[in-house]
Amino acid sequence: MAQSWKDNHALFLISTGALAWLVPGAGHFALNEKSRGLVIFVSIVLTFLVGIYVGSVGVIDPVHARPWYAAQIMNSPLVMVLGRIGATGNYRVFGRANEIGQIYTSIAGLLNLLCIVNAVYMAHLRHVGEAQA
Amino acid sequence: MMAFVATMLGSFTTPMRIGTNPASVLWLLPLVVSISVVYKATKVYKVRLWPFARESAVLFGSIVVFIVMAAVILYGITWIVTEQLPVLLNRSTF
Repeated sequence: MAQSWKDNHALFLISTGALAWLVPGAGHFALNEKSRGLVIFVSIVLTFLVGIYVGSVGVIDPVHARPWYAAQIMNSPLVMVLGRIGATGNYRVFGRANEIGQIYTSIAGLLNLLCIVNAVYMAHLRHVGEAQA
Repeated sequence: MMAFVATMLGSFTTPMRIGTNPASVLWLLPLVVSISVVYKATKVYKVRLWPFARESAVLFGSIVVFIVMAAVILYGITWIVTEQLPVLLNRSTF
């Protein structure tokens, strides 16, 4: 009989982490922590959207703002699509709007990194608990 | 409907006008709310509305109080260095 994906510990942790990165809060949602996942999703997506609204899509710039982009990419791999738009240089933004936009989008990314690690840790604890039971 | 969607997407291509005045510091408050909520969402055992809201509010208040304290201390140091020391030394700082 084929092993279920939850029986393979490493694969389970990797898929939970990947899910949490793909959609903020989805890792917790998959672990049946629905309200926790919803809170994380709403908070992170809202913070990210406020950042883009304040500074425009130009704040995601993998060419001229690489360190910020490293944090922004933690929101979701879909940020790469926005990065391609920002890399064209058609939406360059400067001044306070740029600062606030970059800070919001980057903090949202770092918060999602925290949630990814937390989701993987919860998945690990759950798997260990089921194995011991 | 399409016009609404186009207007919505268009609003994300133009930056807001934010002056470099003291009021722009208030932009940190929504960010602190987000940090408090997400951090507490990873820490509490069970997410229930009122206990969770209270815990997040306490963390939000703690962060804001700490930032205000840091600002007051830095302002005090700046005031001493730029206003008091030159008088004591009887010459300009610069």
